[in-house]
Amino acid sequence: MKNSLKPNKRVVGTIAVLGVLALTVTGCTRTATDGGAGAGTGADETAAPSPGITDTTLSLGISSPLSGPTAGPGSCSVAGLDSYLEAQNAAGGFEFGDGKTREVTLTYLDDTYDPAKTVSNFKQLVGDGIFAYVGALGTPTNAAIMPIANSEEVPQVLLVTGATAFSEDQKANPWTFGLLPTYYDEANTFGKLLADAGKPITVAVLSQNDDFGKDYVAGLTDAIEGSDVTIVDSATYEPTDTTLDSQVTQLAASKADVLMSAVSVTPLQVGVLTKAQSIGWLPRIFLPSNTSTPGTILEPGGATAYPAVYSTSLTKVPASPTFAEDEDVKAYNAAFAEYGSKIAAVYTPHCAWSYAEGAILGEAFKGMEEPTRDSFMTALKSIKDFQAPLLLDGITVDTTRDDQPAISGLTLVQASGPGYAPAKAY
Amino acid sequence: MKNLLARPIVRLLLAVVIAVVIIVAPISSSSFINYQLSLIAVFAVALLGLNIVMGYTGQVSLGQSAFLGLGAYIAAYGVRQEWPVVVIFLLCCIIPAAVGLLVALAAARLRGLALAMVTIALPIIGVPLAKRFPDFTGGSVGSTVSWLEAPEGSGLADDQFRYYLVVAIAVVLFILGRNLVRGRIGRAFAIVKSNEAVALSMGISPYRYKVLAFTIASLFGGASGFLYIAVVQYTSPETLSFATSINLVAAMVIGGSASILGTVLGAIYFVMLPVVAGQIDSSRTALISGAALLLVLFLLPGGLVSLPRRIAQLVRGGRGGSPRSRAAADRPPTGDTAPRTTAAPEAEKQPR
Amino acid sequence: MAYTIQLIVEGFATGSIYGALALAIVLVNRSTGLINFAQGSMGVLATFVAFGLVQLGAPLLLAMLVAFVFAFVFGAGVERFVVRRFEGGDPDTAVVVTIGLFVLIAGIAALIWGYEPRQFPSLFPPQSIEILGVFISLRSVGTIVVLVAVMALLQVLFRFTKLGLAMRAVADNPQSASLSGLPVSRLLMVGWGLAAVLGALAGILVAPQLFISPTMLDFALVYALAAAILGGLDSPLGAVVAAWFIGIVENLAGAYIDFIGDDLKIAVPFIFMLVILIARPQGLFGRKVTVRI
Repeated sequence: MKNSLKPNKRVVGTIAVLGVLALTVTGCTRTATDGGAGAGTGADETAAPSPGITDTTLSLGISSPLSGPTAGPGSCSVAGLDSYLEAQNAAGGFEFGDGKTREVTLTYLDDTYDPAKTVSNFKQLVGDGIFAYVGALGTPTNAAIMPIANSEEVPQVLLVTGATAFSEDQKANPWTFGLLPTYYDEANTFGKLLADAGKPITVAVLSQNDDFGKDYVAGLTDAIEGSDVTIVDSATYEPTDTTLDSQVTQLAASKADVLMSAVSVTPLQVGVLTKAQSIGWLPRIFLPSNTSTPGTILEPGGATAYPAVYSTSLTKVPASPTFAEDEDVKAYNAAFAEYGSKIAAVYTPHCAWSYAEGAILGEAFKGMEEPTRDSFMTALKSIKDFQAPLLLDGITVDTTRDDQPAISGLTLVQASGPGYAPAKAY
Repeated sequence: MKNLLARPIVRLLLAVVIAVVIIVAPISSSSFINYQLSLIAVFAVALLGLNIVMGYTGQVSLGQSAFLGLGAYIAAYGVRQEWPVVVIFLLCCIIPAAVGLLVALAAARLRGLALAMVTIALPIIGVPLAKRFPDFTGGSVGSTVSWLEAPEGSGLADDQFRYYLVVAIAVVLFILGRNLVRGRIGRAFAIVKSNEAVALSMGISPYRYKVLAFTIASLFGGASGFLYIAVVQYTSPETLSFATSINLVAAMVIGGSASILGTVLGAIYFVMLPVVAGQIDSSRTALISGAALLLVLFLLPGGLVSLPRRIAQLVRGGRGGSPRSRAAADRPPTGDTAPRTTAAPEAEKQPR
Repeated sequence: MAYTIQLIVEGFATGSIYGALALAIVLVNRSTGLINFAQGSMGVLATFVAFGLVQLGAPLLLAMLVAFVFAFVFGAGVERFVVRRFEGGDPDTAVVVTIGLFVLIAGIAALIWGYEPRQFPSLFPPQSIEILGVFISLRSVGTIVVLVAVMALLQVLFRFTKLGLAMRAVADNPQSASLSGLPVSRLLMVGWGLAAVLGALAGILVAPQLFISPTMLDFALVYALAAAILGGLDSPLGAVVAAWFIGIVENLAGAYIDFIGDDLKIAVPFIFMLVILIARPQGLFGRKVTVRI
């Protein structure tokens, strides 16, 4: 014990010096960062610019999981957006409603899906003077900063999550809303398809043990209420599970006509598709949009064995031969190869969604008459019938409702051949 | 330099300087920096608990994040029920300590890795358990609170007020912890750590002291959960995840096992490394963190707290350290395949 | 009844995944007395090497062999140049070094291949066979057969070969092993190299099911650690039996005890583990160690 005491005393000195040094380096930024955060942007007629915007630039920030198990979708939520922004910058920049043209830059940080790090990243980004926080992925991470964003009046918008919590009450949280249709809406669409068939159908449900799963089950339950459709068995899983074989075995015992497989993890979803057919259960399958990509889910899962596979879709699939000649897809592929591929190595739908999100931001900038966050929010909240690139025909952006995310339409699709086609009735 | 530092007056001066720095720091710093400083205090308390059970008593615990999470949930629940702050704080200490005591009564019969394995179960079971009781925990969306706003007329911003509160509590807990490990109980811990058979022969029950150490660690874990809610104002099952536990163990060793100062350094490392890694390249944080961890332990196997001793060794030349460790430290870590450039800024910070 | 047996079969298959990795942990512990948290990510890195070769058009078996060679060299290199420096020091520090390796290696794999899981070809056909209403996938059968074979090989290695005995001697007491003329340094490297090969085998066996990604074995590692410790840490047989036990108990508890359900089923094997370890601190198949004073 005695020996360990002495060096400690010496260390104290070193630390004190380091501490003072650190302070002199980091200090004295207090007034610079806190002043503009919300106070100066009020009803002032001359509209002093908000932080993060000059006559030639605008800076955006995002914190998503870029390492760890959720890093695949997390990286894509940054890569798609960055691709759109950088490609537009290279083409001369974004036009704004005040007549100026600005270059829009994106600062992205890794939060490893840890809410405490997201709060830290958010404070860092705001401290560094971002104009708005856009397109972050993750439910707990976004939930952690929602109160801060709203009290500091920093836009936290077009979030890449289907949780209802971010969009359902925009009067209470005017600075926050989501991009994607909610899980509730997606399952509701599925449920309506079943209910409209007008005959007795049995359904087995496999869902994630969190808000994603709960929203999903709620959406389905509400849609089939009063119809002949019944949920005969259900099981849940944790995203960290290594396999869902026992869940599938359990559900197969119900011999349900339909399996609603609300699994958000790629290998697990493929495992469900392989397992069910391997034990002789061939229901009709419903897949959520984030795990229904033909190349990574249907083909490895042997989906052709099932009588029908349904999903919902928002965007054209860039890798699909169906869209190889599509102008949007060509532009996306070029931009992604040039910019996005540095951030995300493999495609998930989040890449396409966040690319479209870039275009929605561009549309908002066009309507932004003053260089302020207020003006940005006003412009962003008045987009209607906007056809963002990569979005399927018929799906448009409507940000004017204060209980819905930016995109709420869904196209019900059915697997056919190498890709999807619009769904026929059940 | 050594002689100078040994003088009481110099030490007193240093203590005053540090105190002044701690008090003045938040006044000029941005809200981001204050958040980081507050988080350091939060995790220092969690690490202190871990160090008491692991560093001082020699019992591996991979479950500290469960007590952090439990404390945070209790605090968040208490805030929603509008309980007085003092009651919340006490419950945040007592309930996790009681849970820790119960677990330890069963688990402390085990030793070494078997004990480690049982403690791993705490966060792993804790996550689904937390999702089971959404009325208490907020489920997977988590629990947001808004409290501890700076009192009117104090002239402080919220982040400054929270910083002072959190740091004050942490300092008190550290003084308690320091007295504990340097007192009679601490000596018993050390004997249990070095040899349980000897402890028995001296009339010290290893079982009882292991249970005690584990309970104290849980208490500090719970208290840090209270501080976590004070700073982050949000908690979810991610807070108590297994990964947090692993990172806490790494930070404890990086800072310095069985050292109070090492605990603080470990907390600084725990909080600052992700920030620094994000500054270097935010899509390569895992690579940078892993390389930094290995680099620190290669240069300073005794943790950051051994830095001055290490420098003294290098300055004094061959007489200082053992020749073997010197040779190994001078040689570049060849097994480390990370690009040198990513690790360089970390190395440059060390004074030479 | 068929349903119960089906659940047990699934438990066997899942347990085999944990068992494969548990064997590697046992091997490292037997040769160096350490727990290697990087065991999973080292296995994943080697599996990625095979993945890369398959993408370049190499046949899977060849890619697998190359991955094994890579794993052996890498494992031995990690022991020699990283872990060596911390052997004999504070065991906590050595464990944290392997945590550092775990993070770093995952980071390297992510740097090259990204985090999104990708499909990996299987050594075994995807079909299932049906016996009396119970479906057994050939992949699970193949995994179990390989696992049992490797376990038997390891038992033979430790019990009956000079190499195995020498490795045990080194783990038990490096100084006296060195004094009796054993090439301690090389034996340690061989131990880590072989463990890394086992990790690679585990990776290649499970990658078709879990999909290859840098974090593929992270959660399986927790189960594997539990299996290794429950089995007794120095017994390959114990590790595999414990892994199967965990897989089966978890499945049955999840399906039959309503209160537990799918979310809390993970708690059941851990509670069993606590009870068993209190009764038998050396694990199911471990040898009792007398404490030296």
